[in-house]
This record gives sequence, C-alpha cells and structure tokens, in this order.
Amino acid sequence: MTRPMRALAMVLATATLVAACGGDDDDDDTSTGDEGAAEAIDGPAVNIGAQDFGESAILAQIYQQALNGAGIDASVAEVGGFRDLLFAAFESGDVNLAPDYVASQLEFLNDGAGEATSDVDETLAMLEPLLAERDLAALKPSDAVDTNAFVVTQETADDLGLETLSDLAEKGQDLTLGGFQDCEENAFCIPGLKRVYELDLSGSFTPLDNAVVGDTLASGDIDVAVLTTTDGRIEDEGWVLLEDDQHMLAADNVFPVLTQELVDTYGDDLTGVLDEISGELSTDELTELNKRYDVDKDDAEDIAADWLDDKGISGA
Amino acid sequence: MGDAWSDMLDYLGGDAAWSGNNALQALLWAHVKLSLFAIVVAALVAIPPAVALGHVRRGGLLAVWIVNVGRAIPSFAIVALLFPISLRWGFRLGLWPTLIALVLLAVPPIFTNTYTGVRDVPPDAVDAARGMGMRPGELVRKVELPVALPLVLTGLRVSAVQVVATATLGALVGYRNLGTPIVSGFQRANKGPLLAAAIAVAALALLVDGAFALADRRAIPWRRAAGRQADVTVDARIDATIAGSGTPAGAAAGSGAAAGATAGSLPG
Amino acid sequence: MTAALTAAEPFLRWDWVEDHTDDIRSAFTEHLQLTAIAVAVGFGLALAMALVAIRWRWTYGPLAGACGVLYSVPSLALFGLLVPVLGLGLVTAEVALIGYTLLILLRNIVAGLDGVEPAVREAADGMGYEGWRRLLRIDLPLAAPTILAGLRIATVTTVGLVTVTALVGEGGFGDLINDGLGRNFSTPIVVGTVLSVALAVALDVVFVVLERLISPWLRAGGGGAGRG
Repeated sequence: MTRPMRALAMVLATATLVAACGGDDDDDDTSTGDEGAAEAIDGPAVNIGAQDFGESAILAQIYQQALNGAGIDASVAEVGGFRDLLFAAFESGDVNLAPDYVASQLEFLNDGAGEATSDVDETLAMLEPLLAERDLAALKPSDAVDTNAFVVTQETADDLGLETLSDLAEKGQDLTLGGFQDCEENAFCIPGLKRVYELDLSGSFTPLDNAVVGDTLASGDIDVAVLTTTDGRIEDEGWVLLEDDQHMLAADNVFPVLTQELVDTYGDDLTGVLDEISGELSTDELTELNKRYDVDKDDAEDIAADWLDDKGISGA
Repeated sequence: MGDAWSDMLDYLGGDAAWSGNNALQALLWAHVKLSLFAIVVAALVAIPPAVALGHVRRGGLLAVWIVNVGRAIPSFAIVALLFPISLRWGFRLGLWPTLIALVLLAVPPIFTNTYTGVRDVPPDAVDAARGMGMRPGELVRKVELPVALPLVLTGLRVSAVQVVATATLGALVGYRNLGTPIVSGFQRANKGPLLAAAIAVAALALLVDGAFALADRRAIPWRRAAGRQADVTVDARIDATIAGSGTPAGAAAGSGAAAGATAGSLPG
Repeated sequence: MTAALTAAEPFLRWDWVEDHTDDIRSAFTEHLQLTAIAVAVGFGLALAMALVAIRWRWTYGPLAGACGVLYSVPSLALFGLLVPVLGLGLVTAEVALIGYTLLILLRNIVAGLDGVEPAVREAADGMGYEGWRRLLRIDLPLAAPTILAGLRIATVTTVGLVTVTALVGEGGFGDLINDGLGRNFSTPIVVGTVLSVALAVALDVVFVVLERLISPWLRAGGGGAGRG
C-alpha cells in the first residue's frame, strides 16, 4: 500500500481499535469484594435508583453497600432526574429499590391531592395502596425527616419582617424563588405554597442545582431559596428558615420503596438489612452526611462506607 | 417521539410557556441579547488589531496560533471553568461566566478571518492604490477592507453561529436562556419544554447563519455572478473551519475563498 | 460569611485528584472511545457520500447543504431533538457527534479527490487504471493530505463536543466537569477541562506528525495537488 494510504489506514484502524477496546470501565458500579461478609444469596439483581441530589446518592450507596455486605447483589443506577424519572425506571424495570420520602411520594402518586399529613403512619397507610397498584411495597420508614426548607437571608428577613411562610405569602409575592428543578411540580414546593398559602411564585422561579442554590441566595440573585431541612448550611450561614405555620409540609420520612418481587424473593434477608438502616437513621445523622457531601465534597460512596462502619452494619 | 411531540404541543398551548420568568419569549430574548452583545464586543476587540496586523502583513503565526487554541478548547469547558472563577470574584451567577466565555470563543474566528482577508488583498491592488497616492488610512478603508469583506463576514458568521450555540450552555451555569428548558428537560419525564426549546434554538442558529449568507450575497456582488452559489457558501464556511494549520486551505477545491489560514469554527 | 462558601475552597484540590485517579483514567478512556467511534463512523459515511458526490456532481450541493445544516445546529439543541427519540445514552451521543463530523469530512474528501491534477488522472487512465482501482491506488493516496487535514479537524472538534455529551450520559472528561458544576466543586471542573484540552492538543499533534510523514512523499512525487 502506498505511504499515505498506509497512514490513513493507520489512523482509521487505530480509531476503530480504540473504539472497540474497553467497555470494561465501570462508572457507578461499586461491586466490591465481600471481605468476610455473608455468603452470596441467589436472586434477581437489586438496582437501586438514585435521584439527582446528594442525599439520594448517599442513601442509595448505603443501601447498596449494606446489601452487598449481606450477600445480595446490588448496584446503584442514577436515574438522571427526580421522582418522575424514578417511577419511570420502576415501570421499565430498570430499578427495583429506591430511597424516597413518604409524604412527597404520596403526593406524587395522588397527583398533588394534598392528603399527606405530618403523621407518618397515617401518610404511609394512604401511600401503600397506591404502591400496591404498581406492584411496589414500602418498608418501615426511619425517623429521619427531610422536607423542603424555604430559606431567606437574615437581611431579607429583617427587611420584610419574615418569620413564617404566612409572612412570605403576605409580603413576599414579588420575591424571586430558586431551587431544584422538581420544585415546580413537587407538592411541597411551588404547588404546595399555592395550595396552602395561596402564594404563587412560579413566575419568578429559577431552577438551580442544589449545590449552587446556597451561593445564589448569598449573592442575592434569588431572594428565597428552597433547600432541605437536612442542609447543614442553613445554620452555618445564619440564614432564616421560614416556619411552616400552616403545616404545608408533611411527614417526609426517609423510607425504602421496592418491588413486591424483591420482598417475596428475598424476604427477611433483604428487608431486615433495610429495616436496620432505617432504624439507625435520624435527621441529625442525615444532616451530618449531607454536610460531608456539600461542604467537604466527599464522595457518596465514601460517606456511605464510613457511616455503615460507624453503625456496625457490615458493608461491602 | 410521539409522546414528546404531544407533550410539546400541550406545553405550547398552556400558560407556562408564555408567562413568567420561564416564558419562551423571555428566554429567547435573553439568548439573543447576550449573543448580540458578545459578538459586538468580540468584533470590537478582534477586528482593529486584525486589520492592523493584516495591513502590515505581520503576525501570521499569531493568527494561526489563536485559531488553533480556540479550536482546541471546548466551549463547554470555558463556560464551566469560568463558573467557579466568577463565583470566587463575586460576580453574579450566570451572566458573567457565559458572557466572557462567549467573547473568548467569538474572537478567534473574527480575528483570523479578518487578518487573512486584509493580508491577502492582492499586492497589485495595494501597489496601485499606493501609486495613486493613497495614504495608509485610506488604503485600508477604500481598498483593503472592501476586498477583505467576504472573509470578515465569514468570520462574523462563524462566530455568530458559535456564540448562539454556546449561549445555550450558559444554562448550565445559571444564565437562563433557551438552553435552560433543554438542560432541565433531560432530567424530566415530560419532554415538552425540551423539545420546544431545542427546535427554537436550532431555528435561531439556522436563521443567523442564513442571515449572514444573505448579507454575504448582498455585500459581495461579484459572488452572485459566480454561479456556483451553493458551493461557494458551503465552501466559505468550511474554509473558515479548516483552521490555520498553515496549509493552503481550500486551494485545491477551487472554492473561491481566500487560500491561507482562515479561522476555525467549532460546532456549538 | 458568604465568602466562606467559596473562598475557603481551593481551586484545585490535589488530594481529590490523587484519590480519583481511577475515575480520571476511565474518563480518559471513555472520552477517547467516544471520539474514535464518532470519527471512524463519520469518516465511513462521509466517504460514501463523497463517492456519490464525485460520481453524480449535482448531489454535492444538497449533501453538503444537509451536513451544513446539521453542523449549524447547536449541540445542546441537537441533543434536545434526539433525546425524546433515542433516549439518553451512547447512541444519542454518537449520532450527534457523528453528525458534526460529516460536513468537514465530506468537504475535505471531495476537495482532496477533486484536487488530483487532470494530468495525473490522464496518465493513470493511460496506464490502464480504471474506476475503483484508480480511486484506490491513485486518487485517494493523492487526496490523503487533504483528507488527513479534515480528519484532524474532525477529531479535535469531536474531543471538544464530547465534553457536552456528558449531559446525555456519556461524556468522558465532560462527566468530571458536570460533576463539578453540579456540586459547586471546582476541582473536577478544572481537571476535566485541562485534560480535555490536553487530549485535543495531543491528538492535533499526532495528526500534524502524520501530515508531515505523508508530505515528503508527495513533494518528491511532484504534486502539490491535494495538499490542504
């Protein structure tokens, strides 16, 4: 072959070779080896859906590592969005277990009917039939609660005299709101403010990544930030968490939702592990975990591993 | 696709698409505003030095280098990098990282194309003009710039399309524009707003490109006579893309654009 | 108070880099693979189109025009149009990446083949080369430098675009950048950016070297034809 042809062929061959090689890189699959963990249990692979925010990723990792440690094959799948994509993934079978929040999930499945209360057992009882329709089941919720937090800076609070969400409804219609994408549809975000406080901030809403909401609030680009009650920065920065005086927010306890199939196949081996985790989680714990993620920039994987270690739950 | 299409129609038929901060027209305006501003600034920054250097026929290496650097740095990377930098310096989110990134990206094509255009004005024409007693300033204005115009326009065109494209990425750093529904749309089940915005951006980019093509034809009468219209406009853009590797770009294809190091564009 | 959020955070945390070399390495591999697939497939398609355009001249305008339209569509918009149809993932990413290479490759292949001097063609015909044989043994080799130049641009451009494909799930260094943007964490942004630029430059250099390797042959062979 002539030289230039050879050169061309070389380029293309290299390109194809590089393209074909590999496929052995795992991004999120942290299937590590079991060191002295339980023997492997047979059954369908567990795919844990993680939503697009730190806390979800951390919880998913905790579930995954604990299950792997108990001998169940589990991996984390990033759903790439929020609850709507999570349930699409449940439907398509891409995911069969996920950490979620009781009240928010109820409101998602009942199309924002506003049925959730601040009593977790009551709310769960309403949720379960809706899950059963989808061949899903809920396990025991933990005491850790993570609801939305509507936060303003001290200056804004002082300027307008804001202490509660009712105050906001009265004096804050012109303020700008910033928060995660889902806020426009999340029953305890914009629709909730409309429903309970008759406050419509949808026109001035800016979707922002959770990580930058704080900075945006601090810089004054938004007046009201939607954070979560487990966000450690609120206290650190001296922001004002507006009180939910009319009880829009409800029992958003962390709990595992999973397919009935998983429950039936694995029974106690799986549910026992998850119940133990739920037992050990508290709101303060969650806040600590989030702080490591948001402020220290640690990876969800490491945070989860350390937490499981602390609690004496064998992870893998 | 059927779902997304009907979602989009629902979205367009509803209120959300046309009112409030996330109204399509508001996003469109933010997009156009920023792009326009960036191009104007880039032109002001790039054209004078390019004309000056082209006139004295120096700095060819600089032109090549600028374009190569501009080509190697992904637009997304610039936007992303400017984000923590501007936060650190207390700039507001969104506007500044995006604007600076856009200007940085828009400068190379304008600079190099203008430079090449001016530099490659046939020496005979320059000599003749000098012979007629023209002073340098006049020479530039009356001879070099008009002759260089096609390439200057090409540079502006390439930049404009690139700016419109990169402005969409500003959505990732908080600058609300047509890119915003697209980016959030990736994370939602309802792809209506995403589709609407994607179509709008594509249309905008093609419109800008088309507008320049028209300007090109209008401003350069002898092109109309050339006959191979399709070839010329396509080739002009590709020549603008064959970045200054120092090789005589396009000469072999007889495209009619100036041979030489013409500036590179990136698809957005 | 607020400065504490960002000022305390160094721009580049080397400890993070050390801890994440595995992630960085797999990002590199993924980035390279995505680029390679796009350029390889793009070249195949462009070559096919070029051969059609050479044989039936009138098709060049429409083909180049179509590729040109594709090229002008902003990448984010193109993803936006593809995702509802193809979902997130490798296929979507590659379709867009391939689409962006077509214009440059098509143009350069045609330019290269066109650039073969008529004298050379006649000589080849005279020696009995016909059709495919002539194409393979005469035209393409002579067109190689121009084609190589096109491949070079397509490759470097694709490396840049792969940073954006992170948004549809496959992004090599773009994943690092995205992670950093999402977490307000500058280190992965810096790492992802610097490395993607380094990769682009490295590949550019590789092509420059290849071009140099080819040209002495051609210069000796007495034809500046097709150099581009």
